[in-house]
Amino acid sequence: MDTVTTTGLTKSYGRQVVVQGLDLRVPEGCVYGFLGPNGSGKSTTMKMLLSLVRPTAGEVLVLGEPMNRSTRRRQLARIGSLIESPPGYGHLTGGENLRLVQRSLGLDEAQVDRAVRSVRLEEQLDKKVAHYSLGMKQRLGIAMALAREPRLLVLDEPTNGLDPAGIEEIRELLRRLAGRGVTVMVSSHLLGEVDKAADVFGILSAGRLLFQGSREQLFAAAVPDLLIDTSDPHRARAVLDDRVAARVDGGSLRIPGIDDQGTARVVADLVGAGAPVYGVRREEQSLEDVFMDLTRGGRL
Amino acid sequence: MTTPFSAALGAELTKLRRSLSWSVVVLLPVVVVLAGSFTTVVSGQQLADGWHTLWLRSVVFYGLLPLPLGLGILASLAWRPEHRGGSWNALMSSPVPSLYVVLAKTLVVALLGAVMQLVLLVTVVLTGKLLFGLAGMLPGRYLVITVLLVVAVLPVAGVQSALSMAVRSFATPVAVALVGAGTAAVLLAAELGGVVLVLPWAVTARATQLATGTFGDSGELTAGGAAAVVVAGALLTLLAVALATRYLERRDVHT
Ligand SMILES: Nc1ncnc2c1ncn2[C@@H]1O[C@H](COP(=O)(O)OP(=O)(O)OP(=O)(O)O)[C@@H](O)[C@H]1O
Ligand SMILES: [Mg+2]
Repeated sequence: MDTVTTTGLTKSYGRQVVVQGLDLRVPEGCVYGFLGPNGSGKSTTMKMLLSLVRPTAGEVLVLGEPMNRSTRRRQLARIGSLIESPPGYGHLTGGENLRLVQRSLGLDEAQVDRAVRSVRLEEQLDKKVAHYSLGMKQRLGIAMALAREPRLLVLDEPTNGLDPAGIEEIRELLRRLAGRGVTVMVSSHLLGEVDKAADVFGILSAGRLLFQGSREQLFAAAVPDLLIDTSDPHRARAVLDDRVAARVDGGSLRIPGIDDQGTARVVADLVGAGAPVYGVRREEQSLEDVFMDLTRGGRL
Repeated sequence: MTTPFSAALGAELTKLRRSLSWSVVVLLPVVVVLAGSFTTVVSGQQLADGWHTLWLRSVVFYGLLPLPLGLGILASLAWRPEHRGGSWNALMSSPVPSLYVVLAKTLVVALLGAVMQLVLLVTVVLTGKLLFGLAGMLPGRYLVITVLLVVAVLPVAGVQSALSMAVRSFATPVAVALVGAGTAAVLLAAELGGVVLVLPWAVTARATQLATGTFGDSGELTAGGAAAVVVAGALLTLLAVALATRYLERRDVHT
């Protein structure tokens, strides 16, 4: 079963459509990496999932039930979230902030302790939050979201302000939570931050969902550049003329966005023209390249 | 036993820790009472009509301006932490119902207002005894009025809290309190009767004028006069809370 399902989720501000027709499927017990460049609509979408912002059109189902203004307070008891800047009252200590959460949600001491330990904030609880570093505030925000032991965790750029070791810790934490059956949706504008933690990806660009699926599907979705190794790349390019967008790259010819049939034709042409071809290969791509590819071109 | 509402109220009380509110609650009434008696004390004069004069000078003026102003400041102080960082997101993504959020804040502001009344009462008694050496005690009817005042601050607490919730600015709701208090003073001075009680700031001011003979008051504490204040106060408070809750339920969070 999917923990979060949206159909045609849309938000407009005046004439500007900032989120357009999203059909999200967030499977239960996965880490869903929600990716997109700045301003692509990640926070707006997450706010709609929590009913902090009302959609202009479309619907949200969370844990099989509609999420809207009349159901939200009931639904929110099982959803932990951290949206945009971390919460926490500056004039109170971290411990006092957590007691506020404990009290208003009717949690017991052990639940709060576990949340604190999982973000390793035990040593900082007596300090006023106003004196916290950004990383500490972020950890406190995550602890506040975790304390209620949610079925769904929605984290908007939770690694903001964390050092590399902190980012790694959060990654491990998210994996552990998913292992226990918690569904985690985590956004980032940097693929590298969620790459290793996520099983499912949703990629947003200018308010539209460019891609949604597993890592393998993501690799398959983006066609990597074709590299033709030849002893005379300039001649080879002249042979192909303007029929394909080829350019010389070191000792090879680089052709982006070409399918298998096109590849066969190009090789036949080159061989027919007497250009010496000794290697035809696809470029090794990192997920980062795929992501950049997708979001820059806005294709798919 | 803790219910979801008592938990919300408890959370609001916790937020008052290290808050500036407490200085407002203590300083405002003390300064007003002392300022009201300052010239009399310095010139070595006596109060014309003992306790009654002292009450009139301290409390009637207090109800016209410092009290609504103080409540406006207390409401803005109470909402200030909610307008910072990710607090709104956190507040609205918790299972605590909007009604409880609004009600708990209103009650906390009113509670601070009630403590302010107590400080006022104690300051008046101490001033009467220590500075003027008045005989006897503050007449009992003023104790009844103090209790009435605790109820009468509710509508102003409700309206100011709603404003400070909706507006991020600290000063705007305080400015509204000043305008509201000024309007109430003018209307009360015009002696229009019960209709002025549609204005929340007029309810509070009217309560401080009970049994003083000022602003068209009869000079006696009557059941009718007291009931008008209580009923108008309760209705306006309900209205403010209902509108604020509705607003919170509908609006989007943008931080
Ligand atoms: N209240 C609002 N009124 C008008 N436009 C808004 C509002 N909130 C967001 N937007 C616009 O919606 C778009 C998406 O914003 P959003 O904050 O969802 O992006 P994001 O993907 O979270 O970006 P970032 O990575 O910078 O956090 C932006 O162009 C933004 O200007
Ligand atoms: Mg964002």
